[in-house]
Amino acid sequence: MGTENPATAKQIHTAPSAALTALKGYWKSVRDLAQVIFASPTAVIGLTLVILWVLIAVFAPLITTHTPFEQDYKLVNKGPSALHLFGTDDLGRDVWARVAYGARTILLLGPLSVLVAFACGVALGLPAGYYQGWVDEVVMRILDAFMAFPAILLYMIIISAVGASSFNVVIAIAIGGTPGIARLVRALTMDIRTREYVAAAKLCGEPDIIIMLREILPNCRGPLIVDFLLRIGYAAFYIGTLGFLGLGLPPPTPDWGGMVQEGHSHMTTNVWPVLCATLAIVTLVIGLNMFADGLREETMRYQ
Amino acid sequence: MARYVIRRLMTMLLTMLLVSIIVFAIVEIAPGNVARNMLGAFATPQQEESMRQQLGLERSVIVRYVSWLFGSDWQAEPKVGLPLRETVSQQGLVARSREWWAVEPNGDLVQWDVQESQLIRLVRQPDGSTHKQPADQDWKVDASGQAYFWGVDTGNRAAEWIRGSKTVEYTYDYSGWQEKVDAPVEYIPLSKGLLRGDAGMSLRYKEPVSEVIGRRITNSLILAALAFLVSIPTAVLLGLIAGLNEGRLIDRIISIAGLITAGSPDFATGILLIMVFALWLKVLPGAAVFTSKSAILKDPRLIVLPVLTAGLVEVGYVLRITRSSVVEVMNSPYVRTAILKGLSYRQVVVRHVLQNAMMAPITVIMLHVNWFIGGLVVVESVFGYPGLGNFILNAALYKDVYAIEAASMVLILLAVGTQLIADLIYSLINPRIRYT
Repeated sequence: MGTENPATAKQIHTAPSAALTALKGYWKSVRDLAQVIFASPTAVIGLTLVILWVLIAVFAPLITTHTPFEQDYKLVNKGPSALHLFGTDDLGRDVWARVAYGARTILLLGPLSVLVAFACGVALGLPAGYYQGWVDEVVMRILDAFMAFPAILLYMIIISAVGASSFNVVIAIAIGGTPGIARLVRALTMDIRTREYVAAAKLCGEPDIIIMLREILPNCRGPLIVDFLLRIGYAAFYIGTLGFLGLGLPPPTPDWGGMVQEGHSHMTTNVWPVLCATLAIVTLVIGLNMFADGLREETMRYQ
Repeated sequence: MARYVIRRLMTMLLTMLLVSIIVFAIVEIAPGNVARNMLGAFATPQQEESMRQQLGLERSVIVRYVSWLFGSDWQAEPKVGLPLRETVSQQGLVARSREWWAVEPNGDLVQWDVQESQLIRLVRQPDGSTHKQPADQDWKVDASGQAYFWGVDTGNRAAEWIRGSKTVEYTYDYSGWQEKVDAPVEYIPLSKGLLRGDAGMSLRYKEPVSEVIGRRITNSLILAALAFLVSIPTAVLLGLIAGLNEGRLIDRIISIAGLITAGSPDFATGILLIMVFALWLKVLPGAAVFTSKSAILKDPRLIVLPVLTAGLVEVGYVLRITRSSVVEVMNSPYVRTAILKGLSYRQVVVRHVLQNAMMAPITVIMLHVNWFIGGLVVVESVFGYPGLGNFILNAALYKDVYAIEAASMVLILLAVGTQLIADLIYSLINPRIRYT
């Protein structure tokens, strides 16, 4: 695959200056991104898997014949049939419907929790890296302590204390992700704050908060985007795991981890709910990982 | 070097202190307080209030934190005016009961109780029973003329009684709510504190948390050690094969397999392995339920699937690191020099590539120990393996607060300690790292 990318090189030389070219610039960066993605087979396979699940989630009502909550007491724990494509679970609910709607749950909560984590991480990491000194010391010591927790343990403690709900799952995963993001933002900030344009902004008398948000943060975006994608993979991983541990979304919300947990005890009579939900989470998480990994390798090649 | 070790130890100490604050804060201050969790939805406000008093939850957060970490016996001793001692007696096979007593100058162990407005001294006899003595002469009188007494009650608490206060104490046991008049007005639950090995009573198992955890840690360590012993050599070997054949079919296959095993959630890997080996092939048991302490030795098949599951995730991760480090070394100038010098391929691989590839597992322990431990927690719950992780999960589901707190602290200490040791070993064997 190509080691140099003419499009990016050209863009650097002809940086858009007028307002009209801004739109063109956006279009170009989208094309550049596509070029980066298609340069890596790993990223392409990953993206395909992710898009597949996104489509299933979006069109869930159109591609299922039942709602995920309908119970049919005459058809409990049955294998695939014409009526139920992937069989039914222990309450007679359609497995395919629960998988399809479960994709909505995980694809909504995953990115949402990562967004919250990014907001917190940026809010902590930017000032720490910018001011350094004692602010940095205090913030980093506390974050180190959070990083000493195995993530799943932190989630377990938080959710056992505040109870299992989708809101609490998002909060828990955001708290778990914040320290890592803050560290990354801090490291990037410490590098960028020494650049000339930051010094120039300071000379102009711009307040610190504007410098941080307008000058430094936008210039951190490259590594942050890759990190964001990686973290969506982790978030999906942990939402599934929490569901499996019985600490995820309360029933009857369709949730893959929860489906595995519920079907676990009926596995000897009916493997379908467990098998489908397991394969769903595996393909989604691996797809997200492959996409982010491929993208990271490809972008690192340019640096 | 010594300086470096000491500095690292101090950092670790600070981290653990902060961790203890975080754990305590999340578990105890979070909405849905401890007493409510214990009592369920049907307790009256009076009953809840009494329970909170007895558990010492009315004390300030800082006092509770200090008591949890360092114990409360030294806080209560000046009030009681006698040294306090904890006795441990065996009850049945496993359960041990712990009781607190005040030690009188003549060596008697005593507790107190108030019945029908009368103070009663309970003196411990050698056989563990108690001898009742009326002790109304022991009431003390404060400045306002009120008779009061600080002693140790029968529920392992230092307590203050006020004569004629008619305070009602509610206790909750197997037979339901019990009501007792002439109860103490203030309690200090006695404990030695986490740092002195007393983590409180498990609300679920009704025995000291430290007893239960001790047994669980052994099981978890066995699982972790086996998973490591199986996965690391496999992963290094596969990573080496893949790295030496960069870009060929075998590399592609190994790399993709590594990506899949490293990326799959542990519970999914576990479930798929159960399906294949327990459900379809019927060669291994799908759960690791221990019927006795030596169950692992009697039936080693019990532990095969948990080890495989915990190991597979590690295999994927270590394999990828090994592969990329092998690829890097193979493209390095010194390997080219070695080949040009006329060394055989075999010698180059053994002398240069393998040595560098062996660094990978240690790096992994450093970077990955938390991930690995988190994975163990999940694997243990998939198979019902009686380890520390499964214990924490059950404690979390049951809201067994003292168990969650203690077990989390132990788990994090293990994680941080492993990281520190791996870090020190790494700086010892890697000549490129200089400690400052």
